[in-house]
Amino acid sequence: MMAKPDLLESPGTKLSESFDLPWMVVVHNDPVNLMSYVSMVFRRVFGWSRERSEQHMMEVHTKGRSVVWSGGREKAELYVQQLHAFLLLATLEKAPH
Amino acid sequence: MNFEISKRGNPLFSRIHPFLAEMIKGVAEDPWEEYPEGSSRLLPPPGTDEELLTDWADHVQPDLRRRFDEDRSQVVQDIGTMRSGRGKSPVWSLEIPIAHVDAWLTTLNALRLAIVTEHGFGEEELAHKTSPDLSTFHGIALLKVNFYAFLQECLIQGLESRESESCNQDSD
Repeated sequence: MMAKPDLLESPGTKLSESFDLPWMVVVHNDPVNLMSYVSMVFRRVFGWSRERSEQHMMEVHTKGRSVVWSGGREKAELYVQQLHAFLLLATLEKAPH
Repeated sequence: MNFEISKRGNPLFSRIHPFLAEMIKGVAEDPWEEYPEGSSRLLPPPGTDEELLTDWADHVQPDLRRRFDEDRSQVVQDIGTMRSGRGKSPVWSLEIPIAHVDAWLTTLNALRLAIVTEHGFGEEELAHKTSPDLSTFHGIALLKVNFYAFLQECLIQGLESRESESCNQDSD
């Protein structure tokens, strides 16, 4: 079952951004990364519960990718940078229309 | 080799066989020097948007590289504290300050990724479905990848056991 990403845009979003399509942060599978490590990274970066982290980790493991966040571009870039700092394979993608 | 949490609350590896102690010392390797092709995996692109790629290469990747180097420097310092016992076949011990565990996890992961990418290991080899041929460099590299994974798992378990202790204390 695909997990739905949370939209975390605040009411104070700039006007120029509010008309932008959301950006998705996608984590891709890499067979080297330990499942326990990926789950730990999700808890650290997103502050998720263990249960939710493992859900997304299993989605990465079984489906090859998981959308872990969706929202404004600036925050999406920050999340990708944080995930890269833990050596996870993460990319930004424009959300579908 | 044993793993536990010390009285100081730090991950502690003890009774380390000298052969494994040498492998732990190998964690100090600079992946960019030792695995130049494999280290390309350590700074992957963030997507396909041209403007983003340029910005990432100019600003984000140098910062990530600096952080990885800082983490490795911390690990090198900790490796310097490894202690061996006395006798004909001395065993070693290594206590890692809890504040340094993240640096170890990142450094171990970077090495594993670089080695796997450099040697082109497939999923079957990584899933332990084949035994490494230790007469070859390829086989020794796979042994390293698996041993460093074991160290990572121990450290993650150590972190999680501290987290659950903290939760139990908070709930008291």
